[in-house]
Amino acid sequence: MLTLALANLMHHKVRTSLSVLAVAIAITLLLVLVGLSNGTLHEVSRRMQSVQAQVLVSDKYFDVASFSGGKLWEKEIAGLLALRVEGGPAVARVLPVFLGRMKFADQSQNVFGVHPGDFAAFAGARRLISGELFADAADPAQALSAGEADDAGGAPQGDLPVIIDQRLARAAGLGVGDTVHPGALPVRVVGVVETGVAGRVFAPINLLRAANGVAAPTAHLFFVQTPAGFDADRIQQVCDLIQQTTHRSATPVAAYDRILAGNFRTLTTFIGLVSAIALVICFLFICVTIYTSVLERAKEIAILQSLGAGRRLILRQTVQEALLLCAAGTLVGILASYAARGAIEAAYPLMNIEINPPWLVVAGGIGLGGGVLAALYPAYVALRHDPAEALSFE
Amino acid sequence: MTRPNVLLQADKLGKTFRSDGLETPVLFEVDLEVRQGEFVAIMGPSGCGKSTLMHVLGLMLSPTSGRVWLDGEDTSGWGDGERARRRREKIGFVFQRFNLLPTVSAYQNLALAQRIRGQRLDGGIGRVLDAVGLADRAGYKPGRLSVGQQQRVAVARAIVHRPKLLLADEPTGSLDSANSQRILDLFRDIHRTDGLTIVLITHSPQVAQAADRIVHLADGRIRHV
Repeated sequence: MLTLALANLMHHKVRTSLSVLAVAIAITLLLVLVGLSNGTLHEVSRRMQSVQAQVLVSDKYFDVASFSGGKLWEKEIAGLLALRVEGGPAVARVLPVFLGRMKFADQSQNVFGVHPGDFAAFAGARRLISGELFADAADPAQALSAGEADDAGGAPQGDLPVIIDQRLARAAGLGVGDTVHPGALPVRVVGVVETGVAGRVFAPINLLRAANGVAAPTAHLFFVQTPAGFDADRIQQVCDLIQQTTHRSATPVAAYDRILAGNFRTLTTFIGLVSAIALVICFLFICVTIYTSVLERAKEIAILQSLGAGRRLILRQTVQEALLLCAAGTLVGILASYAARGAIEAAYPLMNIEINPPWLVVAGGIGLGGGVLAALYPAYVALRHDPAEALSFE
Repeated sequence: MTRPNVLLQADKLGKTFRSDGLETPVLFEVDLEVRQGEFVAIMGPSGCGKSTLMHVLGLMLSPTSGRVWLDGEDTSGWGDGERARRRREKIGFVFQRFNLLPTVSAYQNLALAQRIRGQRLDGGIGRVLDAVGLADRAGYKPGRLSVGQQQRVAVARAIVHRPKLLLADEPTGSLDSANSQRILDLFRDIHRTDGLTIVLITHSPQVAQAADRIVHLADGRIRHV
């Protein structure tokens, strides 16, 4: 009977192509939107979790997902280092981060202001591909004032030295020694680090503060390293301790993806809704296609009945056609999603679209399940045809 | 109960169509017996209920009153599934407008019929197409065949599963005289060689002459047997 279903679909090439296209568009929309949302969230959380630290401390009013809100004071670091858990030190090292924003490759980027000595903890296993580590300035305001010499061997005069990741370097077409003007201050690339580090742009913390007009030694985040061998429970204990004693917010870095997903729940719900609407429209289209086909083929169905086809066979025949349409549409949709990902990432190199096997399975399930659902009403109509009447009509 | 050797029997068969509160009686107390291996023509003018009678006898329609016995079984009370099964196993249909599936080839029309009947594809299809003189047109879709050839494919499809009963509704109604004669010759051959029971519906006295016995139907009633 598959032969007949295939023959029917091939007989109406335009209608079949449009139906396949409708399913393909919906599946592509689903995979690309979900892939974009997941890709962005996972990439950001992977990068944050690449820092060699276990706890993330921030002001209670700081949003660790959007990187906005209240600040911390560097002097609080001493208090953290003094904390003790089960008779031992709770904190081994604190890495303060001052965050700034600059536009690179037409996209606003968070600039991680860090102490040069802490950079290795942020780079982790990733190495500087080219250039060198920046130096901070003892007098950042002076260092950033054009025309004044910097004899301390720090940052070049008037420039904010930055290290960028390889992906941003490629997207923005920048290399070591290039100077750009993303804001009022010229920025000079002194190094390129492998992709995957927490920030796409790193700068010396003092210079970044000064560049942002902040004189006080503040930070937005503390990445806290716990002593070696602390398991998840101990790390949670440290978080609780920090929250109780400092009234700051402290979360395990390992939980960052959960926090991020929670913060973006509205966005992911919206994406889910858009995808669902697209899918419903697509399956209504399939339903109408199959329904039209069933109406047009009342005689053919009657012929099958005259040959002895029972209800089950007529139902199977109708569902089979819808399934073939949806299977072809799903396959085309999956291929189109990969093509769309390639095109989007080529046009916007900093975007991440994650198309992973579980979502391919979901898309396949939705495509085929939707096909069966879309065929049910037309199949019901097909079963209600009066074969004698259809065969009598000449 | 039916008498021995009676393949098809209608007892006081009545059929009334109901639509939008309107009742249209078509058949009235039709009594008919067709014996095994018999070739019967049911003849009558257009609109006398011939096709309705064929659909009722072929289990495509349920009678409003009366009973149909097929191969010794009372078909009244059978559900859609049981009726479909008996059509599959025991009946072959030939229609005036051939009613071939237009999207598949002549061979596939027969193959689909075989599959619906749960039969395996073997050399039977080739043999039947050969018997109707269309072995060389097996791969053609109906649209590429002449009307005479299409009707021969339809006959082949109706007999490929070796049914007990062949019901033919105006099988020559769309054909010229040469093709009509060829189809009637084909029916006679099948009847003679295979002993197939044939019920042929026609309005034409010439066509009815091909049968062993003629039953006249007028205004939904059997007039003369």
